Amino acid sequence: MADIQYQAPEDLAAASALLAGAGGKARILAGGTDLLVQMKFDVVEPTLLIDIKNIAETRTIAEEDGGFRVGAAVPGAELGEDAALAAAWPGVVEAAELIGSTQVQGRASLGGNLCNASPAADSVPAMIAAGAVARVIGPDGQRDVAVEDIATGPGKTSLASGEIVASIFLPKRPANSGDAYLRFIPRTEMDIAVVGVGISLSLDGDGVCTAARVGLGAVAPTALLVDAAADALIGSKLDEAAMDNLAAAVSAACSPIDDKRGTVEFRTDIAGVLARRVASIAFTRAGK
Amino acid sequence: MMDQIAEQISLIGQRIPKPDGAAKVLGRTQYINDMVLHRMLIGKILRTDRVHARILRLDISKAAALPGVHAVITGDDTPMIGIGVNKDNPPLKSGTVRCIRDEIAAVAAETEAIADQALALIEVEYEDLPAVFDPAEALEDSAPQLHEDKPGNVGLSYNISYGDIAAGEAESDVVLDETYDLHYVTHCCMGPGCVLAEFDAMGKLTIYSQTQYPYNFKMDLAPTLGIHPGDIRVIQPPVGGAFGSKLDVYPFEPICAFLAQKTRRPVKLVFSREEEFIASPTRQPVRAHIRAGAKKDGTLTFRDVNCLLNNGGYTSWGATVPYVMMRTFSGHFRVPNVEFKSTAVYTNNPFAGSFRGYGNVQATYVTATLMDKMAEAVGMNPIAFRLKNAQEPGEVTPQGSLLKDCALADCITIAAEKTDFLKIYAANAKVETGRYRRGIGIATSLHNAGGAKIHKSDGCGTILTMDDYARVTLITGASEIGQGIDAVITQIVAEELGVPMASITIVNDDSAIGPWDVGVHASRTTFIAGNGARRAAIKAKAQILAAASKEANVPAEEMELRGGHVVQSDNGVSIIRLDRLLRAMHFAGEDAELVMVTDYYEPPSEPEGDNHYGDMSAAYAHAAYVAEVEVDTMTGHVRVEKMTVVQDVGRVVNGLGIEGQIEGGIAMSIGYGLTEDLRIEKGIVKNPSFRDYKVATAPEMPEIAYHFIENDTPEGPFGAKGIAELPAIVPAPAIANAVYNAIGVRFDNPPITPEKVARALHGGQDGGDQ
Repeated sequence: MADIQYQAPEDLAAASALLAGAGGKARILAGGTDLLVQMKFDVVEPTLLIDIKNIAETRTIAEEDGGFRVGAAVPGAELGEDAALAAAWPGVVEAAELIGSTQVQGRASLGGNLCNASPAADSVPAMIAAGAVARVIGPDGQRDVAVEDIATGPGKTSLASGEIVASIFLPKRPANSGDAYLRFIPRTEMDIAVVGVGISLSLDGDGVCTAARVGLGAVAPTALLVDAAADALIGSKLDEAAMDNLAAAVSAACSPIDDKRGTVEFRTDIAGVLARRVASIAFTRAGK
Repeated sequence: MMDQIAEQISLIGQRIPKPDGAAKVLGRTQYINDMVLHRMLIGKILRTDRVHARILRLDISKAAALPGVHAVITGDDTPMIGIGVNKDNPPLKSGTVRCIRDEIAAVAAETEAIADQALALIEVEYEDLPAVFDPAEALEDSAPQLHEDKPGNVGLSYNISYGDIAAGEAESDVVLDETYDLHYVTHCCMGPGCVLAEFDAMGKLTIYSQTQYPYNFKMDLAPTLGIHPGDIRVIQPPVGGAFGSKLDVYPFEPICAFLAQKTRRPVKLVFSREEEFIASPTRQPVRAHIRAGAKKDGTLTFRDVNCLLNNGGYTSWGATVPYVMMRTFSGHFRVPNVEFKSTAVYTNNPFAGSFRGYGNVQATYVTATLMDKMAEAVGMNPIAFRLKNAQEPGEVTPQGSLLKDCALADCITIAAEKTDFLKIYAANAKVETGRYRRGIGIATSLHNAGGAKIHKSDGCGTILTMDDYARVTLITGASEIGQGIDAVITQIVAEELGVPMASITIVNDDSAIGPWDVGVHASRTTFIAGNGARRAAIKAKAQILAAASKEANVPAEEMELRGGHVVQSDNGVSIIRLDRLLRAMHFAGEDAELVMVTDYYEPPSEPEGDNHYGDMSAAYAHAAYVAEVEVDTMTGHVRVEKMTVVQDVGRVVNGLGIEGQIEGGIAMSIGYGLTEDLRIEKGIVKNPSFRDYKVATAPEMPEIAYHFIENDTPEGPFGAKGIAELPAIVPAPAIANAVYNAIGVRFDNPPITPEKVARALHGGQDGGDQ
C-alpha cells in the first residue's frame, strides 16, 4: 500500500477542489465501510483520502419543501433515530438499516452506498422507488441528479472529476402513500442481497393506486427503475392480477448474472416473489 | 485447632467458566499473530495460479535483489521430501504443480509490504497440463495422472465386508438405492493459519505452532526439514480455533522453518483470510452410493456402501476418514450384513484434512436420512423403525466395538417424548398448503467416546507437582485448542485434592516440558487427559496422606483432603493445613520429599487390525437430535427453530463447557446442512471470503433444549465420556429430515440452500437432487 494523504476539509468547495486536483487518485471517505475494505484488498489504491464528515451539510437531516434533505454521510443509525424521516420514508430507512452490523450502522451512509455503485446496494432500490434526487457539488457548481442515474455499472458512476454527492433529497409525499424494501439473502442477517426490491406507491381515497415507482437491485449491472412494474400497479387495488403482472414485469426486467450468490433462474424467480411482498407492505402502509 | 472443615460441594457437573476466557474477552490473549521476536522477519508464500502445470521457468532474481528481502527459496533449495499421509506433498513444489494452493516459492523480508512486493517480482512460466477435477473421471484410463507412483490416481482405499450382502438382499422386502453428494466445507477458524520458527545457534528449531498434536508433529515435520525430531521444540501459544485443521503438518510450517534456517533469524508467517480459505484443508467431500435393505417388520438386512472421495492433489487426513465412516455404516444400528468400499482419487482440486466429526459427518448425513427413507418404505414411523434396530447394551458391532453401556434406544425414546415427535410429525406431514410449512426430523449417530486407538498408543502423560503453598502445577500432554480441557482438568484435580480451583495452574504449551500425548482429536481429551490428571491427583493424594499419617499418627485411610486441609474422614476435623504439611514434607532433612508425581494413561482399547476389526475405544456414545424447522415455500429459506439434544455424555464435568461444545457443533452443522459451501470449480476456490462463504451466524441459531444421559461409564473420569464431535455430526441430517417432513422433498446434496428448495418447489428444471 502506497503512502496515503488524509484531508478533512470543512466545506464542499474545498473537498471538490482537492478531489479535482488529485487527478483520479483521491477517494471520498464518508463512513468508509466499503472504501476501507477495498483498500485493504488493494481493489482501490488512492493516494488521497478526503473525509467529508467535517462538512456540516453531509452530516445533517433537514426538512425541506415538505421533504427531507439527508446529508450524504449521515450514518444509518441516525436515519432510524429521526422519527419524522422514518415515518415518512420507512422503506428507505429500513433499507439503509439492513446494511451491515450494528457497528457498521454507526458509519455506513446513503451517500456512500450510492457512490460505491454496487448493484447489490440495499438502500439504492429503495431510494429509486422514493424518487430520491442526489445533490452533486463539483467544480462547476451544483446539479441535482436522480439517484438511478448515479451508478453506470458495478463500481462506476456518472460523477465527473471533482464531483461529490453532498446530500440526497427525499421528496414530499402525497397523502395515502407508503414505501417498503425487502431483500433476499441466504442467511438471516449480515449478508449481501441476492435480489432487492423497493416500491413506493400512492393511493386515492378508494384505495386505487395512483402512482408507483419500483426499484430493483442485484439483478443487473446497476439498480434499476422498472416502469413496467409500476404500470402493473397503477390503476389497480393490488388485486391478484395486478400482483401477477407486477411479478412478471419485475422478472422480465432482471438481467442478472450466474454467480456464487445465485443463479439467473433463482434470482429472476425470487425477484417476482419479493416484489409481491414489498408491494403488499407498501400498500398496507399507504392505507394507514 | 479443632477446626471442622465443611464438606465441599462436588465440582463435577458445575458450570465453570473457561480459565482462558477472561483474557480473550479483554483482548489480552497473545496469539502467534501478535508475537514479535527480536530480529524477526516476515515470511510469505507464492502460490501457483494454475491447477495442473509444468513449471518451465521460475526466476527469483528480482525478488532476491529487492532491499529488505533476506531470503527467497524455491523447491530447488529444499528437499523434495513429502509431508502428509501419503508423503506425497513436498513443502515447495518444483517441476509440477497439481492444485491451486501449491506453494512454489517463499520469501522472508523485513516487513510484510516488502515480502508482498518481492512475491510480485517472482517470474513464473508454465506449460499447462490436462487437468481432472471429478474423482470418477480421474479413475478413467485416459485421465491425466497426478503422481507417477500412484497409477490410476488412487490415493487410498479401504474395504470391509461382514456377513453376506446377497443373502441380506434376498431376505429384504424393501431395497433402497441412493446416491449422495457431500460437498466441500472448511473449518473457518477465526485465527488464520500462522507459524513462527526460530533456529538457535546450535541448529535446534523452536517452532511456535497452532498444532493440535505437538508430539507427533515433531515426528512428521523433522524428515522434510532433514533434522532430528528431538531437535524440535514445539511451543503452542493460544489458538483461534482448530477443529481438526491442525492435526497434520502443512507446507507453510516447514517453509517457515526453511526461511528461518536460511536467514538465521526468527520468521513469522501468517495467512490472509483468502489464503486461509484456499490453502487450508477442507472437509472431505464424498460421493456415497448406498444400497440398503429391510424386512417388512422393519428389521435392517444389509448395507452395501461405495464411496468415492475427491482426494485433491495431495493426501492429508481427509483421505483416511473412511476409518470413521465405516464404523457408522457397519455399527450404527444392528446391520447383519455390511460391505463398505472407499477410494480416494487424486484430482487437481485442493485437498481435505481432518475436521471435527472425521467422516462421521458424511456417514451420518447418509445413514440418518436413509433411515427415514427406509422407515417410510416399510411403512413405519421414524421412531419405531429406529427403535426396532437399536442395539442393546453389551452388543458388539461387526467391527468389534463393544457397546457396553449403549444408550441408543434411550436417546431415541427421550428425544421422541421431549418433543412430542410423532404427533407433530404426523400433523406437519398433513399440511400441504400455506407459505410457511413446519417440519420435525430426528437423526442419531454413534461416535467413539473413550479415545480412538489409531496410533500405537492412545495415551496421555501427566506430571503433577505441588509447591510449599499447596499450589498445584499440572503438566499435561493434552493441548488446549479452545475445547475447554483446562477447565475440565482443573475441576478434576481440585476435586481429588480438595484445593480451590484457583490454586491450580495448567501447563500444556511446550513440548520441551510436557509429556507425550497423541493429540487433540477423536473426542478424546476429557476422557484420556482427564483420566491421566485424575490418576496423577490420586497418586499425589496417596503421597500426602502417607506423610500426614506419619506426622499425625492417624491411619491414612481415615483421612481425606478437603478445603486445603487434611481432615479426619468421619468428622471433617482438620488434622493439618495442607500447605503446612507440604512444607513439613519438603524441609524434613534426610526424609525430605516433594509432591511430584507422573502418570501415563493408556486407555484399555485395541488397535484396529488390518481387517479394521477391534474395540478401538474405551467407550462409545450415542446421540439423538431433533430439529424443528420452518420452510418459506416462496423463497426456499429454511429456518431452524429448535434443536432438542439428547446425548449420552457419561457424566457432565463442566456444564458450561459441554453446552458450549454443543452450541458450537450445532452452528457448524447448520452451516454444513444449510449455508456453507466451499465452491470449487475446475480446481479454483470461488468464494474465499466470509462475505461469500456463508457460515451460520448468531441469528441462525435455534433454541436449544439439552437432555443429558448420565450413566457414569466405568472407565471414564468421574464417569465422563468424550462428547465434542457428535454435536457437529447429528444436527444437519436431523434438519434434512425435518425439511422432508415440511415439504416432502429430499436433499441428498447439502447444503439445503434457498435456491435448491425453491427450485424443487417452484417446479424448476430439477428439484432438489431428484
